[in-house]
Amino acid sequence: MSYGGPVPPDYGDPHAPGERAEEYLAPEIAGEASALPLWRRKPLLVVGAVILGIYIVVAVLGPLFVGDPRVTDPANFYQGPSWDNLFGTDKFGRDVFARAVHAARLDITIGILIAFFAMVIGSAIGVVSGYFGGWVDEIVMRLTDVVLAFPGFVLALVLVAAIGNSIPNVVIAVTVAYIPYFIRLTRAQVLAERELEYVDGAKLAGNGPWRVAFRHVLPNSLGPSFVQAALVAGWAILTVAGLAFLGVGIRPPTAEWGVMVAEGAPDIITGQWWTALFPGGMIVAAAMAFQFIGDDLGADVL
Amino acid sequence: MWRYLGKRLLVSVATVVGIVIIVFFIVRVLPGDAAVVRAGPYANDEKVQEIREQYGLDDPMLVQFKDYMADAFTGNLGVSIRTNGNVTEELLERLPASLELAFYSVLLAAVIGIPFGIVAAARKGTWVDGAARVFAVLGSSMALFWLGLLLIYFLFFRLRWFPGPIDRLAVGTEPPGTITGFYTIDAALRGQFGVMVEAFRYLALPVLTLGLVLAAPILKMVRASMIEALESEHVRTAKAIGVPYRQILFRDGFRNALLPVTTAIGIVFGYMLGGNIIVEFLFAWPGVGRYAYSAIQVNDLEALQGFVIVVGVLYVALNVVIDLVYAWIDPRIRLGTKVTA
Amino acid sequence: MSLLEVRDLTVGVERSPHTLLREVGFTVEPGEIVGLVGESGSGKTMASLAIMGLLPRGIELRAGSVTLDGRELVDPATGEIHRTANEMTMIFQHPRSALNPTMRAGRQIARVLELNQQMESREARDEAVGMLSRVGIPGAGRVARAYPHQLSGGMCQRVMIAMALACKPKVLIADEPTTALDVTIQAQIFDLINELVDETGTGVLFITHDLGAIAEMCDRVTVLYGGQVMERGTLRQVFTDPRHPYTTYLFDAVEREVDPRVEEKGVNFALQGCRFGHRCPYVHEACAEFPPLYPVGDGHVASCFLHGGTDGTS
Repeated sequence: MSYGGPVPPDYGDPHAPGERAEEYLAPEIAGEASALPLWRRKPLLVVGAVILGIYIVVAVLGPLFVGDPRVTDPANFYQGPSWDNLFGTDKFGRDVFARAVHAARLDITIGILIAFFAMVIGSAIGVVSGYFGGWVDEIVMRLTDVVLAFPGFVLALVLVAAIGNSIPNVVIAVTVAYIPYFIRLTRAQVLAERELEYVDGAKLAGNGPWRVAFRHVLPNSLGPSFVQAALVAGWAILTVAGLAFLGVGIRPPTAEWGVMVAEGAPDIITGQWWTALFPGGMIVAAAMAFQFIGDDLGADVL
Repeated sequence: MWRYLGKRLLVSVATVVGIVIIVFFIVRVLPGDAAVVRAGPYANDEKVQEIREQYGLDDPMLVQFKDYMADAFTGNLGVSIRTNGNVTEELLERLPASLELAFYSVLLAAVIGIPFGIVAAARKGTWVDGAARVFAVLGSSMALFWLGLLLIYFLFFRLRWFPGPIDRLAVGTEPPGTITGFYTIDAALRGQFGVMVEAFRYLALPVLTLGLVLAAPILKMVRASMIEALESEHVRTAKAIGVPYRQILFRDGFRNALLPVTTAIGIVFGYMLGGNIIVEFLFAWPGVGRYAYSAIQVNDLEALQGFVIVVGVLYVALNVVIDLVYAWIDPRIRLGTKVTA
Repeated sequence: MSLLEVRDLTVGVERSPHTLLREVGFTVEPGEIVGLVGESGSGKTMASLAIMGLLPRGIELRAGSVTLDGRELVDPATGEIHRTANEMTMIFQHPRSALNPTMRAGRQIARVLELNQQMESREARDEAVGMLSRVGIPGAGRVARAYPHQLSGGMCQRVMIAMALACKPKVLIADEPTTALDVTIQAQIFDLINELVDETGTGVLFITHDLGAIAEMCDRVTVLYGGQVMERGTLRQVFTDPRHPYTTYLFDAVEREVDPRVEEKGVNFALQGCRFGHRCPYVHEACAEFPPLYPVGDGHVASCFLHGGTDGTS
């Protein structure tokens, strides 16, 4: 079929592709509005990361600079916040700030560890369940349903109550409570991924099913899990502190934010607000930092 | 619809059975001698053996399991170490207090979260939406115990607007005779309006604590589903035929967003069943959460076990109710999806 | 003066230099079916949403005029469209998702009447059932009480047509009305549309990528690509004597005889000149400018410098 109408001779013959008349076309509009700086596009992510960064610095280096939190100074008890004691002193005269900084090391580490373990274990199970399917999948799904039928906090509570109060036990219990989230998330991704072509390619190349599952499918299914992990780290800190507040898991005299709030709670009624509210505020700020990071990375999960 | 509900009921029963079984295993099979844990850190060997016998922890696992299951399903949740009372009875006694707290908290959360979420969706991108999202983040990172203490400090200690955290009523006030177990309702029904007001005043701080935090997930869910509904094709049709914006918002947007929102309220109730331990402890509220807290302090595993089972069952029952509501709202579930024309 | 006259319609993404539609124009006369044809991404749906005032968030009308029976619909101050369902309505591609899932079919039609014709609910309900019969639904009463998920795709489309025509608008826009339906149902819907047009003299803007459908239904055709009108004319003119390289390429593609000299690329919305330039085998310097529509026949125009430019007309 030919192009309609006579071709005015001035315009010559049609080009072959490749002989593109690039130069005939106007250049692209300059100043494409595509690259806004990161802090404009995802402000919350930046704020969250900054706050988290501060916390990590405090957690790692802080204890080297502040005084010993266990030093008591009975003469100095219940002093309000001042330049000497940024967060005031508690009923034993201990410096609340020093104690809070030491607690930061514990809480931030625990939060990250829990999120990490939950993600690793949960994703592994999720991959197996999603990729291999069958009765394994059924069992895993039923189990996660039942576990998720409990509010996570209650589950962790019962677990710690059953296996005893200690820091490792708390980490284990809370990790177990959050594993199902990752199982579900990874499994959903895997179900979608395993229909993709590269999986067929990997199989044809002779990889056994376990290799295909872990080496090929898993890395591509982890995206949402990383985002979820950020959120879980924040929730983990809240859970651990909440348990400690109830006297479960981590107990005094260990310096932990929840423990500090529990010790300081009775003081509120008599007006010494700093012993409980400062440590509590640090918990909330840390959780918020993780929440900002997770939200802006793309999660919007309840 | 009945087939759908029947299926859901079956799944729920299965879940409850699952919960009961899992609690058994958690409490007994985990590392650590259950008798030692129960006896507490100060018991000597004799006491531990006594406990072992008393609770049948010497028996083979199968026997224990059989006894346990039989007990659980006849409603016998054992005897509390701490009080020597019947766990089932003690839980039932305290349930109304927790339910009253739960009810008003969820109500407050819905009253804050739903309108805020609708407006945020309708005015997406404006400052209202921004404020909503900040609120949502704050709520999701909030520590209940911290917020509670904050409110106690400002609204009780400083401003004296509300009474301190000591119970459901002032010392010396007689609770109204029980009809529903809700002090607020019972007092009103009996014409004791002074008592009713006092009950509300004591409810205020714990309800505020829980309600504010629970409002966040509700708001998120309402906003998200409203936005989806408003950007949907059928809303575009409604605009095409000239439906005024307000009507679109409610009849086409919210009515269709109602489904996920109902689920959200269900989930929120679930969170609360856990959160109420902290709130009840903090505000000295005589509910099942506080009971659980006392149980924890003395390793009263029977009581704790009972508490967990009750919570699990309540949660499952709640989900069944939610499903019923769902079916009523969504004609696709109510009438089945068969194409008839 | 035409029934519906669209001129220089320009639509873009807010806060971005990209234009999705550029100087698009066409007309519709009473009782006429005008086709708007193009591939996906050509902007045909966007054009229809623009003239209906249904542009999604983030997309804005930058310029243009839309007159219906002589009345300008575009508000000069705000760029908003002021239109009622008594004047112009639209039906959409996925009929089931376009209907409200929690509202019965009859009620959805009645609502249109209550809102636009100020009918009482009883009268509107009866009229709704009447409309359902007129669009060829047997057992109209029963269907009126049904929810959209209980109706087949073709039935849903009829319901939507009933909704659209309930207020007897002068212009109906049909955006891919049958693309999501079976071929047999497609024929029925086409017949229905033709019938209604003959009966009521409504003008129809028929949007589709299906050249066969255009050939069957339309009196005149506008070809759109990358938001630019490539060619416009009567059905016979455009189909038997295409004058734009893009149009010819489009017909070739149907025959699977694509000219290998045409580059297979996506639309480039940043181009200032002809939107087919980066693919066209005849591209030359002049194409860096946006081509006007040159006349190539009686009422037949094409936006290509091959037919105009410094050398005058062909």
